[in-house]
Amino acid sequence: MSGRANPLVPRRAVVEERVAETADTVTLTFAARGGDLCDAQPGQFNMLGFAGLGEAPFSFSSIPPGGSRFVHTVRTAGNVSRAVWALEPGREVDWRGPYGRGWPLDRARGRGVVVVGGGIGIAPLRPAIRRLLDDRGEYGNLFFAFGARTEADLPFRRELEALAAAPPEGTTVRLTVDRKTEPGGPIAEGLVTAPLEEIAFPLEGSVAFSCGPELMMRFVARALFRRGQRPADHFVSLERRMECGVAQCGHCQIGAKYVCLDGPVFAQSDIARFADVIV
Amino acid sequence: MRDGERRGTVLPGGAVRGWLDALVRERRLVGPALPRRGQTIFRVIEDAAGLDLDYCSTMMGPQIFVYPTIQPVLRMDPRTGGAAEVAPGDERRTVLFAVHPCDMQAITVVDQSFLGKTFDASYAKRRAEIVTAVLNCGAACDQGFCESMETGPFLRLTEGFDLEMTRLADRLLVETRTGRGAEILALSEGGREAGAADFEEKEAREAAARASFKKKLDISGLPELLMRNWDHPVYPETADARCLSCTNCTKVCPTCYCYDMADDMDFAMTEVVRRRSKDSCHELHFAAVHGGNFREVRAARLRQFVTHKLSTWLEQYGCFGCVGCGRCMTWCPTGIDLSEMAKRVQEDFARGRAR
Repeated sequence: MSGRANPLVPRRAVVEERVAETADTVTLTFAARGGDLCDAQPGQFNMLGFAGLGEAPFSFSSIPPGGSRFVHTVRTAGNVSRAVWALEPGREVDWRGPYGRGWPLDRARGRGVVVVGGGIGIAPLRPAIRRLLDDRGEYGNLFFAFGARTEADLPFRRELEALAAAPPEGTTVRLTVDRKTEPGGPIAEGLVTAPLEEIAFPLEGSVAFSCGPELMMRFVARALFRRGQRPADHFVSLERRMECGVAQCGHCQIGAKYVCLDGPVFAQSDIARFADVIV
Repeated sequence: MRDGERRGTVLPGGAVRGWLDALVRERRLVGPALPRRGQTIFRVIEDAAGLDLDYCSTMMGPQIFVYPTIQPVLRMDPRTGGAAEVAPGDERRTVLFAVHPCDMQAITVVDQSFLGKTFDASYAKRRAEIVTAVLNCGAACDQGFCESMETGPFLRLTEGFDLEMTRLADRLLVETRTGRGAEILALSEGGREAGAADFEEKEAREAAARASFKKKLDISGLPELLMRNWDHPVYPETADARCLSCTNCTKVCPTCYCYDMADDMDFAMTEVVRRRSKDSCHELHFAAVHGGNFREVRAARLRQFVTHKLSTWLEQYGCFGCVGCGRCMTWCPTGIDLSEMAKRVQEDFARGRAR
């Protein structure tokens, strides 16, 4: 073969830790086998899979330094995600990646940042949130809004509640659920777009990172555009069917874009002109 | 290119057969075979007498020898997790012969998916090993509009092929592009160096072939027009009235590269072969994700096919995804014609009824 590797050959990783987030969602920490490194950026994804079952894309929900470990928060949905979800510590998985273009944190430097996540869509935002908080001085005011169907469906619940209870300076955190099942607490009932009206810093010149159901992202975008945010500064992470992750299989295409290669994070202005996009 | 720079070899009628016999003998010759059940198809030629050099079009293009419809990619052991690449076969003897210019162009279009944004070593190996010999077309075929798409009827490419052939009155003009093209021409005997008269006849035949097209499509501004009018009623109207989502158009399209990945496990469950096989954007599953489908409506899937070929492909790869071969409309059971769909948007634009 001509020196360059076949991009479809997977590597192996072993589950080190499994933490339940909700009834159908777990956070898995993997250690790459054989000294392989996964040098990921917030917003990128891996293809995880099994011989006999196939592969599916999973965003990183945390990026430990060093690259020998990677973290995915997985909701059981299809064949592959169900099998990944069920992995216990010590079990192995095939992985390829990291792939795609992630959150443009450079673009957010020195500017106000709005982060909106819905349900499992909070997972791809989590490494970006970590960076924003770790390098707090590099960014302007931060406004985070996270929503889920009920309290029990909110991934990273304890972490997000702790953040909401004691946010760093210049940071606002709002948590919402469609339907409240527990009295009191820091989580309000309502749509995740509702708290956006509270944003106290000017949205002209601000940047947004949004991930969740595409219809949710549409309403988030409209709410922020109404208050002056530019579509070129509004970034969304899109979900599409992917079978290869390397711009070959064709499934993830939106107009002229490959979600796996040009995304999954896009400026809203880069995709709004294409058909079959809801955002 | 003027005569001064052009070099070619002319094989007199009698020498052509000898060359073809030598190609069959010395190489693995894949070419258009005389119809057995009414269809000319590209396959391995065992007797040069079985070549159909007068063919108009084939249902499946010759690109299936470069990019097979089904390809094993990995051999995996589900117990140990081992995964090994399935090495592509040795194609160094294969000569893909009498490929029409539109189909040669189509192969260079598929190249962009596997040698461009992502490099696919097995595709690259097969593509590099197979020798490609183009045969220019003397006249338009029934549904072809390669003249409009600037891919034919004579070769428009300047690279990506090994050898170009043009049939003259009683002889064959052969122009080699690469050393491997020259190697297969060297299997011929009785040729002479081409002269000015030969190239003049080639030019005259090209002009005549170009003038023979009735089917045309004006491609100037077309990608932008289709992009602006993505919500044009031609998509739902055509889809609802006639599209069966049968996927024939994408199966016969020589540039369609989209693939599905599937794992085949043996009965003992000791070995898995992960294969890729050509998929179709007309399939309901194509844009489906858990809990939804971004192109659930048939019109959206037809629009994806048409606008990808005639619009968004250009932005992705700098060329059209349609080479004007006419296969999709020929093999559509209800005769849906993407060039007619594009023309309807153009007509509406001319009348001020489109953006």
